[in-house]
Amino acid sequence: AWQSGVGGHLGGLSVSAGGLVNEEVKRTVDLSTHLAKITTELVLSNQGHSAVQSFILSVEPDLAPHLAYIGASVKGDGEDDGLLEIQQSDIHGHSGDFYKVHLASSLAAGAQLKVKVEMTFSHVLKPFPTHITQAERQLVVFQGNHYLYSPYPTRSQTTRVRLASKTVETYTKLGNPSKNDEIIEYGPFRDVPPYSEDTMKIHYENNTPFLTIGSLTRTIEVSHWGNIAVEETIDLRHTGAVLRGAFSRYDYQRQSDSGISSIKSFKTILPASAQDVYYRDEIGNISTSHLQVLDDSVEVEVRPRFPLFGGWKTHYVIGYNLPSYEYLYTLGDQYALKMRLVDHVYDDQVIDSLTVKIILPEGARNIHMDTPYKIDRLPNQLHYTYLDTFGRPVLVVTKDNLVEHHIQDVVVHYNFNKILMLQEPLLVVGAFYILFFTVIIYVRLDFAITKDPAAEVRMKVASITEQVLTLVNKRLGLYRHMDEVVNRYKQSRDTGALNSGRKTLEADHRTLTNEISSLQARLKAEGSDLAEKVGEVQKVDSQVKELVCRSCQEAERLVAGKVKKEAYIENEKNLSSKRQEFVGRIDSLLDAL
Amino acid sequence: SSRLFAVIRFESIIHEFDPWFNYRSTHHLASNGFYEFLNWFDERAWYPLGRIVGGTVYPGLMVTAGLIHYVLNLLHVTVHIRDVCVFLAPVFSGLTSISTFLLTRELWNQGAGLLAACFIAIVPGYISRSVAGSFDNEGIAIFALQFTYYLWVKSVKTGSVFWTIGCCISYFYMVSAWGGYVFIINLIPLHVFVLLLMQRYSRRVYIAYSTFYIVGLVLSMQVPFVGFQPIRTSEHMAAAGVFALLQAYAFLLYLKDRLTKQEFQTLFFLGVSLAAGVVFLTVIYLTYTGEWACIHVDFFFPRHTVFYSHLGPFYAKIHIPIIASVSEHQPTTWVSFFFDLHILVCTFPAGLWFCIKNINDERVFVALYAISAVYFAGVMVRLMLTLTPVVCMLSAVAFSSVFEHYMGDDTRREKPPAEDSSDEDDKRNSGNLYDKVSLLTMLMLMLLMMFAVHCTWVTSNAYSSPSVVLASYNHDGSRNILDDFREAYYWLRQNTDEHVRVMSWWDYGYQIAGMANRTTLVDNNTWNNSHIALVGKAMSSNESAAYEIMRSLDVDYVLIIFGGVIGYSGDDINKFLWMVRIAEGEHPKDIRESDYFTPQGEFRVDKAGSPTLLNCLMYKMSYYRFGEMQETEAKLDFRTPPGFDRTRNVEIGNKDIKFKHLEEAFTSEHWLVRIYKVKHLDNRESLDHKLRSVVPKQKYTSKKVRKSYLFQ
Repeated sequence: AWQSGVGGHLGGLSVSAGGLVNEEVKRTVDLSTHLAKITTELVLSNQGHSAVQSFILSVEPDLAPHLAYIGASVKGDGEDDGLLEIQQSDIHGHSGDFYKVHLASSLAAGAQLKVKVEMTFSHVLKPFPTHITQAERQLVVFQGNHYLYSPYPTRSQTTRVRLASKTVETYTKLGNPSKNDEIIEYGPFRDVPPYSEDTMKIHYENNTPFLTIGSLTRTIEVSHWGNIAVEETIDLRHTGAVLRGAFSRYDYQRQSDSGISSIKSFKTILPASAQDVYYRDEIGNISTSHLQVLDDSVEVEVRPRFPLFGGWKTHYVIGYNLPSYEYLYTLGDQYALKMRLVDHVYDDQVIDSLTVKIILPEGARNIHMDTPYKIDRLPNQLHYTYLDTFGRPVLVVTKDNLVEHHIQDVVVHYNFNKILMLQEPLLVVGAFYILFFTVIIYVRLDFAITKDPAAEVRMKVASITEQVLTLVNKRLGLYRHMDEVVNRYKQSRDTGALNSGRKTLEADHRTLTNEISSLQARLKAEGSDLAEKVGEVQKVDSQVKELVCRSCQEAERLVAGKVKKEAYIENEKNLSSKRQEFVGRIDSLLDAL
Repeated sequence: SSRLFAVIRFESIIHEFDPWFNYRSTHHLASNGFYEFLNWFDERAWYPLGRIVGGTVYPGLMVTAGLIHYVLNLLHVTVHIRDVCVFLAPVFSGLTSISTFLLTRELWNQGAGLLAACFIAIVPGYISRSVAGSFDNEGIAIFALQFTYYLWVKSVKTGSVFWTIGCCISYFYMVSAWGGYVFIINLIPLHVFVLLLMQRYSRRVYIAYSTFYIVGLVLSMQVPFVGFQPIRTSEHMAAAGVFALLQAYAFLLYLKDRLTKQEFQTLFFLGVSLAAGVVFLTVIYLTYTGEWACIHVDFFFPRHTVFYSHLGPFYAKIHIPIIASVSEHQPTTWVSFFFDLHILVCTFPAGLWFCIKNINDERVFVALYAISAVYFAGVMVRLMLTLTPVVCMLSAVAFSSVFEHYMGDDTRREKPPAEDSSDEDDKRNSGNLYDKVSLLTMLMLMLLMMFAVHCTWVTSNAYSSPSVVLASYNHDGSRNILDDFREAYYWLRQNTDEHVRVMSWWDYGYQIAGMANRTTLVDNNTWNNSHIALVGKAMSSNESAAYEIMRSLDVDYVLIIFGGVIGYSGDDINKFLWMVRIAEGEHPKDIRESDYFTPQGEFRVDKAGSPTLLNCLMYKMSYYRFGEMQETEAKLDFRTPPGFDRTRNVEIGNKDIKFKHLEEAFTSEHWLVRIYKVKHLDNRESLDHKLRSVVPKQKYTSKKVRKSYLFQ
């Protein structure tokens, strides 16, 4: 609908076209790479009677399907070379593609204007012969037009062709062109009528890498936690002359000119802040690459697993992370992502088909996209990844036939409620909360279907024995304390202290023993046979207590001088060994508990 | 964490050969669903036969990985299936460690359990199968094995059906995961049998075994690959026999309660003679119906041969060269015992002795486990894996009892010297003892420390290389990665037609299928010996004979591994004798091993080599244009002659190699992988201008003659 509308509009335009004339045309056809870049500098003069708002650029019907890029700028007197707005249109009765260029300011009658037009064509250099062996060089044919294909008559024009090498098999010799090394100059041709075509055919040697990206899928994943992850999946093909016959590694390694048109490696330039670059394919990391961090970019020397000969292809994935502060702009709830729609893969790149997927954070709304050039938008998708509940919106756009000129920024505007940032952490917290809560419930509550009285008794007994153990240990501690008191007494000979010590011992001992006996009674009540053991402990303990008292008395007697020192030591030794024995027995009984 | 060395040093990638197949089938499972996986007919393998994958694999591994992947993706944890596969083995070795702890705790005590768990975590014998990236059946099977044994011991101890059912489920998992389940189904009956012999029969054993046998049998038959084997093949007969015996024994015991001694005796004899008669009749019946023959045939069915070769070290060597040709099927050397188990190999007999000294039901089990595993490990390097857990457990028992003894004494002895200070003599005495004890403890700890160091060293040096990627070190210590395998496989993947058929020796079959995604003729699932022999024959014939074979097999490309440039010893020339042997086994008329040796009986690739060798396809493909290659940059001191093979350190014998039917299609950067394209038939050659001889369509003869012709 768009096209027919424009076509209708053009009906009136072709009348005014009669007034425009190409005064002077300088064409440069650059065939030194695998692209054909045609730069035309033309001087337009308006010889009609009214001012002109726009003019028409046209592309030959043979070349038109290969046109990747067209751009026009006014080459003014010191004015800026801003690109002019271009719209595709149609002219009845003539084949080829036509583009209407809107001028910034209208061209008055009789005035002149210098315009520079750039066109880039992909896949127009055809290898001939189409199959070569490893030792042969690659020859290509270019078929173009000697003249400028234009709806306006041309007063004077020259065409200069720049080739990749000096070796030229044949070239058309219209108007006796001059050849100088890599340059062929045609013209000047004078007074060429509109829409004139004359085939220019050049067959020459071109060993530059004929690399083509068959398809490129670029995924940009935006995270509001400070990271933008970019991943490019690339299908690469060598579109030059196809390798015929054997590939010999020996020749390839030993002879420098063997496989001269093959591709060993190329450089990909990533943004300067790219981090964590990876380069891999389906079967793992590709170890033959180098990364170089420069001031204004990160350069990856991408080396496919094997050298690419004509007709060979490969496939790889390259990815990296970018800090979001460089590309993501925000104003309140409004966000704008400004990134390159497509980035540099190699010099003079050709991308046959591009798909860009922009994954925005979960909860992004009111999304709209400003693209630098016309691009097909596919319906949005949803993407689920870590901690997503309702999915992240994915914008998908595609475009065919792209070249380096298409490395331009795209802006995506969207709204995002900052509260949603908290959703993911809360999700994790909630999950852990539920987990712990269930564990707590499971541990605290009894889910057994049947009651087990034996187990309950066992637990009760266990708790009582625990108490007994602590009490007995405390009691043993009392004896040790008493020993200290006695020792101190032996030095200080303070009877008062000894007596008070003894009194506290007696008192504490009595309370502890009582407590233990009450516990013992409870054990008995539970019907546990441990009660007997506790009883035994009590018995042994009373003997220990006796011993303690006796050693105390002995000490008293020693201090009083009633016994000799030797005898005392003898006695003491006896007592202590006995006590040791009893304590040992208590210990073993306690262990048994 | 030492299992992750390989990932850190290289990348997250699947190692070795078999894991590539497992990865590929897991990928298939993850992308196509479970039923599709079970019905998967893989036309990419064993061209032109194909392979029914669903029915010929143990699906446990794939299903486990697929399930983990599915659950993670359900939770929106976007993990690639490859990463799941790579990290599955380390995760499962953690679980193995836990189940080893549980099992050892049941056998001995908690301390020994902890030690055992520590040992199994770092012992190289197990790490070799569970490093990250080694996505193989064994990785999860050892966990299943240990866990099944734990549940079995538990069920024998308690006699509860609950534990036994748990044991059966675990056994089912094991069956679905690894062919080594045969070890369980023989060891558990053996345990029961020995318990019967030792008069340790109890109701608990009866319950446990009866339940286990029935439920386990039914469950194991659910695995498609196993099918009806548990009731047909001889590996499983022991279990059935013990089951019958146990029933008879229990029945007899029951009768013994009810009858007098006299009656019992007559009944016993009657029963025995009846049983003998029944067995006899069954044998006769089976022989008549041919079932028996079927069972006999099973003896020679290739799938079972691995099992038989497990039983005897010499079985495989004599009968099937293909099994003997695999390095991990070689008998274990003493060195590898020490290498894989280190100090544990010395301490584990001590643990066994401790167990036998304080015997009870479950220790009988572990003793049997140990003895049988030692035997199997001696037969085959591969089965070192089943030995490793039991060695860890018993060594842990040994260590823990020693520690318990000395350290326990230690704490008790500490008290008396603190008590009194009067007796000098006593103190010195006890101090001495104290020193001795601490010395011994220190010594033990030193041993353990050395063990840990050894384990780390072995892991990092021997078991952390993916073998798909080779690494070499320069003089300055920087690392060179040789990625030739993937280079060539990826070339195949990208630059050949999707349906081409690649011929290679079977070692590389899984990798070609997994990485290059192309049809292979033979692969690591060596189920069809004659097909492999045919490939072997093609490799070892001369070019025109090989071309005939390759034409008949529709081969488009031939892939070989050649290590002569960088000195890689695992290349095809070094494996070549096995190809010849296997080919000879099937085609003794065409291929004779002796032709490939010099008259002195040597295998040489230089000028003195036998002409048959120098002109066979494998030789020609390996050394094509190698004769021109001059190695100068590597060895500056002396100029080696052109065509100097660095793997075998000789100058090759045949430098002038021309191909008629093949052409070089691709050679990787270091010449490690060479791929040749098989040319189509030349159409010029067949144009011999013979005179057309007209053959009359029908001879006109009289009816009489025709008749007589008929009756001739």
